Amino acid sequence: MTDDDKRALQEVGLEDGVFASAFGASPTPMVVTDARSADNPILWVNDAFLILTGYRRDELYGRNCRMLQGQATDPGEVRRMRDAVTSAEKIECELFNYRKDGSAFWNAMTICPVRDATGEVAWFFAAQADMTDKRRYEQAMRGTNDELERLVDVRTADLQAALEQKTALLHEVDHRVKNNLQVISSLMLLKARRTPEGEARDALQSMAERVGALSTAHRMLYSAGDVTRFDLREFADDFLADLTAGIDSDRTTVEAEVDSIAVSAAMAAPLALMMHELATNAVRHAFPNGRSGRVSITAKRDDGGLRLLIQDDGIGIAAGPVNPAGFGHSLVEMVVRQLRGTIAWNEAFPGTRVEITIPLDRAD
Amino acid sequence: MTAEPALRILVVEDEVLIALELEYLLEDLGHVTVGVAASSSEAIALGVSTIPDVALVDIHLVDGPTGVAVARALSADARTTVLFMTANSKRIPEDFAGAIGVIAKPYSERVVASALSYVAEYRSGRKPSHETPDGFSLAPPV
Repeated sequence: MTDDDKRALQEVGLEDGVFASAFGASPTPMVVTDARSADNPILWVNDAFLILTGYRRDELYGRNCRMLQGQATDPGEVRRMRDAVTSAEKIECELFNYRKDGSAFWNAMTICPVRDATGEVAWFFAAQADMTDKRRYEQAMRGTNDELERLVDVRTADLQAALEQKTALLHEVDHRVKNNLQVISSLMLLKARRTPEGEARDALQSMAERVGALSTAHRMLYSAGDVTRFDLREFADDFLADLTAGIDSDRTTVEAEVDSIAVSAAMAAPLALMMHELATNAVRHAFPNGRSGRVSITAKRDDGGLRLLIQDDGIGIAAGPVNPAGFGHSLVEMVVRQLRGTIAWNEAFPGTRVEITIPLDRAD
Repeated sequence: MTAEPALRILVVEDEVLIALELEYLLEDLGHVTVGVAASSSEAIALGVSTIPDVALVDIHLVDGPTGVAVARALSADARTTVLFMTANSKRIPEDFAGAIGVIAKPYSERVVASALSYVAEYRSGRKPSHETPDGFSLAPPV
């Protein structure tokens, strides 16, 4: 070290003293350059800087830091650093640098201009950090993220395909069920046509109508967007239109007041069958011998669940026919039991009044 | 129902039982079945030879989901009004392949009856007086 150098170090306070000891022993690589000499030569480095770069002190002192740059160093980042140095501004930058042995590393540094007593920029002080591991880690993380995203994409595509397959299958099954219901009803109606007028023919027709009621429920279940819900009013509108199409509307009127009540799909078929049975029974049997009258159907939901009331002003229960109503009657009782509901058949003087309560889940 | 002229109807349906019962139903309603076809080629041939007023066309036939092509072919003759009659409405293309509507299976006799009286009014150029029933949907306006 020349006397000039010593003087320079003394001036900057790194020849000896507490800062010289502390900076010299710091694990953070540090460098001081001489801003007043041509081309900003290195004036001082600590041991950590030597370890980082692989150079000896005598190979560094007097030379510009650009000696660490190489082929893959980003010229833009170098320009940014040079501009800051020229205008004596503090800068943080990250350069791809090379050690003496040619191996490369990411060198993150903070460069600060340091002014002398006159206020002139006399030195630059730079603290370095080897960012190679961090960069490698980031690279690995990016790779890992890309891989995870790819895996998620693959999984999502698989699920999408599975969902599409499931939807297609549901449509196929729905289509087959509807078609089969039509076949069943056609089959029974065909047999009814070939059966002489009488009890057997009536029974076949009744069965075809029951299948028809179930068909209506099924059609509604899958025509709406939500296949898990069933709207009672929608069903009632359609089903009552079918019922009244077959009766003399001057003689028998059917009034319905059915609220829009969404119930779970599992209840659709039993409810459809029950309403069909009760309404048909009233229309068919309450008004014999040209008697005229009125059937009213109301469905509401309250805290107790679904409340159904079917009332007619016909001949009443006691006067009604025993046999034809028998099957319908027990069918209704069975369905109510299946739905865990209660049913009360009462004489209404005149007519019959049937009250049914079906518990509904909170979700219903 | 008012006395509407009998419609000459071609039934395009591969389920024999459905087709047969439908023939009876059409007869009950005062219409005439001019033919029953179970495949697309039969349907198109019968369309040409009988020139029906109305064709009731199922989507799925013996030779596959060919009802759409049948509807297109039959509706090309302006004398024939095509109605789909299917449990597979999702297969109907957006333009309805020339059909004016669809009767959803399973259908009731009432829906068939009112769909056909709608068709009769439509063919006579009158504005159909009643609403279409549930289970019978019209094609979107062109």
